[in-house]
Amino acid sequence: MTNTALDQALQTLERATSTPELVKATQALCALNDLEAAKPLVKVLGFNNPAVAAVATQGLIQLGRDTIPILLVSLDARNYGARAWVVKVIAALRDPRGLDLLEHALEADIAPSVRRSATRGLADLELSEDAAHDQLVRCFEGLLKAVRDDEWVVRYAAAYGLEQRLNSAAVSAHLAEQGRAALNQLASDAEGVRVVQLRALKALQRLNAG
Amino acid sequence: MEPLSETQVIQNLRQTEDPSAQYYAAWWLGKMRSQHPDAIPLLLRALEALDATPIDPEQRGVALNAIRALGLLRDMRAEQPLLALLHSNDYTVREEVVRTLGAMGSCGAVEGIRALLASGLEGAGAEQPSSPLLNEPCEALLEALGDIGDGSSSNLAVIHPFTEHPRPLIRSAACRALLQLTGLDQWGMELKKLLNHPEPLVRRGALLDLGATGWLAAMPSIRTAAVEPSLKLVALREVAERNVDPNDVLDAMDGLL
Repeated sequence: MTNTALDQALQTLERATSTPELVKATQALCALNDLEAAKPLVKVLGFNNPAVAAVATQGLIQLGRDTIPILLVSLDARNYGARAWVVKVIAALRDPRGLDLLEHALEADIAPSVRRSATRGLADLELSEDAAHDQLVRCFEGLLKAVRDDEWVVRYAAAYGLEQRLNSAAVSAHLAEQGRAALNQLASDAEGVRVVQLRALKALQRLNAG
Repeated sequence: MEPLSETQVIQNLRQTEDPSAQYYAAWWLGKMRSQHPDAIPLLLRALEALDATPIDPEQRGVALNAIRALGLLRDMRAEQPLLALLHSNDYTVREEVVRTLGAMGSCGAVEGIRALLASGLEGAGAEQPSSPLLNEPCEALLEALGDIGDGSSSNLAVIHPFTEHPRPLIRSAACRALLQLTGLDQWGMELKKLLNHPEPLVRRGALLDLGATGWLAAMPSIRTAAVEPSLKLVALREVAERNVDPNDVLDAMDGLL
């Protein structure tokens, strides 16, 4: 890997204006598989162009967990679209170093798409061996907060997440009870959005069958 | 700041000294799906400002929010007053009224909506001079006919020309309505083509239109479209809620979270 390849790719990206050009330039940047490309890829997430952002997201996920330290300091306070994509990458990498950020995003972000991705992250995050119990409790607490979110899509993600976590043998009886109660609530008429009910019912059916 | 209580919101809409409090109150009652017995009468009272000459611009704003709230509350007591406003000479009032009547599934609105569209591409669908607006709010009118669900031949005949409109979002609305009213795949295929349009705005519109039809065959295209996941989730929610066996749709939604 020479620097010239990266510089060239960055120049092409700089000159790109149309969506097809941007997609091609972003693909070229991803193909380098170079950690140095992570920062410019994060920048691409802020272009408000879903076709290009999807390519950059895949590229960042491919770069793997070495990008986590870069991602953790790259949240753009003024661009919720970009934040949602970054949180999505962190969630997909399932790295326990992302836990603080996911918790904070779920708690404090005003954008439902960011809280949704954060909830997904809490559902799928791998736990560190030395702190697994503590981290599992934190993931559960986050999911139980997501159950009470105003936005249906966050509650939907919570139903998905509770099913994931309740499937694990490591869950204490106390947490399991709380998780089931939350799923029952999402499946009941107290939940005003049909698709959330449907997802919670599906989770309960599969948990009961397993 | 303490959140407002429903009683306080009702009081804010009832008073007439502070229009911005009324404006917010009208919005709140819809957003919170208020069941308060005074909600509908007070929202209907807010519409009366549209009969005045000249219309007070602040009261017009309150009335527009009231119309939107009535679309969320879907109370048939609002039907007659709203039908009268279909003939308003204010484009935005007609547009919001049509959206609300569509959401209410008002069969009584069909004839009036059809009349507004009847002049076709040269009339209703033509651009107003020196304005980005069309002569009529065609997108809202077409969507409402589809949502109300009366597939009579006179409705289909009035929608059909708009599948050739120069604006892709109008074509999308027409195809959506025809797919809802006829169930014919050909209109779904037209919407799928619009999902590949170079303009992100058109792709987003076509995606939501496909979702609103609940057409199950749209699922793979919705999943792979170059549109934000959050909009795909909104569209797939509509598909899931309109089908008896939504299992595959829920799996697709899980993959987009």
